[in-house]
Amino acid sequence: MAMFSQNPLMNGPNYSFNEAPRVNAPEGARQHRFDPYTDNGGSTLAIAGADFAIMAGDTRLTSGYSINSRYHPKVFKIGGTTADQKDATLVLSVVGFMADGEALKEKLDSICKMYRYRHGKAMSVEACARRLSIILYQKRFFPYYAYAILGGLDEQGKGAVYSYDPVGSYEREQCRAGGAAASLIMPFLDNQVNFKNQYEPGSGEGHALQERERRPLTRAEVEILVKDAFDGAVERHIEVGDGLQMMVVTATGIEEIYLPLKKD
Amino acid sequence: MDHRPQNWGRPRDDVYGAYDGSYLQSSGPKQATQSPIVTGTSVIALKFKDGVVMAADNLASYGSLARFTDVPRLRSFAETSVIGFGGDVSDMQYLNRHLTDLSIDEAYAAPSSTDTTTSPGAGTLNAANLHKYLQKLLYSRRNNFDPLWNQILVAGLDSSEAPFLASVDMRGTAFTSPSLATGFGAALAQPIMRRYAETDEQAAQLSREEAVKIIKECMKVLYYRDARSLDKYSLAVVTKAGVEISEDEQLEQQSWAFAERIKGYGTQTV
Amino acid sequence: MTSIGTGYDLANSIFSPDGRNFQVEYAVKAVENGGTSIGIRCKDGVVLAVEKVITSKLLKPGANKRIATIDRHLGVVYSGMVPDGRHFVDRARDEARGWRETFKTPIGTADLASRMGGYLQAHTLYQYVRPFGVTAIIAGYDSELETPVEGEVGKGPSVGAGGKVAGKKHGGPFLYMIEPSGLYWGYYGAATGKGRQSAKAELEKLDLAGGELSLEQAVKEAARIIYVAHDDNKDKEFELEMSWISGADGPTKGRHEEVPKAIREEAERLAKKALEGDDEEEEKKDDEKMEE
Repeated sequence: MAMFSQNPLMNGPNYSFNEAPRVNAPEGARQHRFDPYTDNGGSTLAIAGADFAIMAGDTRLTSGYSINSRYHPKVFKIGGTTADQKDATLVLSVVGFMADGEALKEKLDSICKMYRYRHGKAMSVEACARRLSIILYQKRFFPYYAYAILGGLDEQGKGAVYSYDPVGSYEREQCRAGGAAASLIMPFLDNQVNFKNQYEPGSGEGHALQERERRPLTRAEVEILVKDAFDGAVERHIEVGDGLQMMVVTATGIEEIYLPLKKD
Repeated sequence: MDHRPQNWGRPRDDVYGAYDGSYLQSSGPKQATQSPIVTGTSVIALKFKDGVVMAADNLASYGSLARFTDVPRLRSFAETSVIGFGGDVSDMQYLNRHLTDLSIDEAYAAPSSTDTTTSPGAGTLNAANLHKYLQKLLYSRRNNFDPLWNQILVAGLDSSEAPFLASVDMRGTAFTSPSLATGFGAALAQPIMRRYAETDEQAAQLSREEAVKIIKECMKVLYYRDARSLDKYSLAVVTKAGVEISEDEQLEQQSWAFAERIKGYGTQTV
Repeated sequence: MTSIGTGYDLANSIFSPDGRNFQVEYAVKAVENGGTSIGIRCKDGVVLAVEKVITSKLLKPGANKRIATIDRHLGVVYSGMVPDGRHFVDRARDEARGWRETFKTPIGTADLASRMGGYLQAHTLYQYVRPFGVTAIIAGYDSELETPVEGEVGKGPSVGAGGKVAGKKHGGPFLYMIEPSGLYWGYYGAATGKGRQSAKAELEKLDLAGGELSLEQAVKEAARIIYVAHDDNKDKEFELEMSWISGADGPTKGRHEEVPKAIREEAERLAKKALEGDDEEEEKKDDEKMEE
């Protein structure tokens, strides 16, 4: 070996390309890395009533400070047997990264359809809620970056709302706000739906204060509440606005309502 | 002199230093595209009464270098749709080849385009179908961390023969609007187009001539303010009658008189 | 069929002592029973036509196409075993796609004929395959225009030499016919299937080599020839299927497409009329003879 070593630098082992020294390792300043996620803004809201559930979302789609679209629905009927979903019984809302949100919607929709074809009946909201959790959890190492809310009527006919985090943790709730303006809307719902911090007038002071008794809200009340919540969110959050889409799930079917919101 | 055959023809390490093979990236995870290289700037499009107008300039930039000045970035699909590409040009060319193969496959079973009893492209993919296809393609590439670095506009007619315009980006985010613009156009052209067509109803009032005029005006504004743009551009109009693309449009009646008044970022007055 | 029972007809890859491959010859027999297919190469395009024998009244009229598109500018029709023809079409589409992938440009008609000729020939060599039971007619119009290389950057220099030869004509209409042996030739007019003899006789009358026949005339001739060729097979009903390819400035803009219904029906009307005319003439002659 030494007989060949006229070159002092060659005395060490000759490297293969695999062992090449990393002189200019690619950590340069202009390095552009692919980020698979974006936030498309917008907000969603769901409230369960005694015999109905309302799912709502604004229709603005943003990226950064740009409004991509003024009408891009976030609330979808799920598990109908036709393209227009006219016999659907469940509603899903998604907010966050819309490409993931819509992929999630299409996956859940096809699962609900398969269930319906196999069993000859629509999936119950309880079963669908569990299934959605599993879908999200199965992708926990590359999550669907979407905050989902599932709404429908439970097997007693009561309004049901299930809310999720992006990796599948879920619970049934009376009401839930999701997305950009969730932190603005949620305290409002706590106060107006669950009567938090509301007390009976003249019931006393301190620990003697009596909480206002909770009662189920009527559909008309809830519709007004939803509109008020979004009007407030539009005022204070730049990613919320343009239009309000509401799906009202009742025993007779799902009714869709569209109301304009401020476009600024 | 090093006589070992494995070193024949190699630069001498004592003169040039050890070879830096780090760029070969043969160890560690596979790296897909991490950034676009040769790029195209904005694509803009606007719906009107009977169809959609789309435009994009013919420049492919290499960073700040105006590298290729005759690269049309609009293409037609099956004489029914127009597709406009912003972003990486090599990915555009890949998609172009892919879409050509797709259109040939789709045409195997399609009826004759010379048959006047059927509308052109009947029985093949319409613009809405094509947009959904591209959305799925780009989203699956994103899921594999091998994105196609483009923002794409698709224009044509939907299944009810109403004007259709939609966008899809490198992450698979898809949306539709009466007017759409990619890149700088989203900031510069979109406000102008929305002035004329805020809603679909307003867009349905526009004539073809009005829509073309608005698009041309937007291309001029983009050329004034986008440093990676060119005054030679392509203009496409898609209607029920088919697709017309002109690839050698020239910006007319430019006035740079405003330029001498601009100081700093344009808001400065003294 | 003196060869039967000698054993030389049982497999490919074995010659008979007098230098024949009997499997290939039997494949030709399969072709000779199929519906007649023809192709006409004229001055500004190519026409393909096929006599589609109706095997059942339960089949939907106009469905189950027999002429296939290979690439935008290429079409194929075949006589013989339809499943073999379908596989021929699949393979041709793969070849055309592969050519586009490697060369970024559409495959030429001659190149496709060469590739498919090689493929059919390979099916005469091996023990474990049988030859194709079809004779296929390939029609194509190679673009006479400067075809953009797919994915090229820019349009190239707008002036000056781009490596082109001045005055040289590029592209044009082409027609090839490939037989089960893998043999293929370029033709002005090609016919195969049951009625090929009378079809060939009619094609020879057209002076196709003279380059005078137009595409529109060729469509009418093609329809007439299929009707003439069908005369040999008169007891069975048939449908006429036709496709055509013109240059970029012609009716199909360089694409292979089905002949529009209106034009086809007009051609069929003229074909029927021409046939009746012939019959009347023959009857007249017979009458004259009687009188003598």
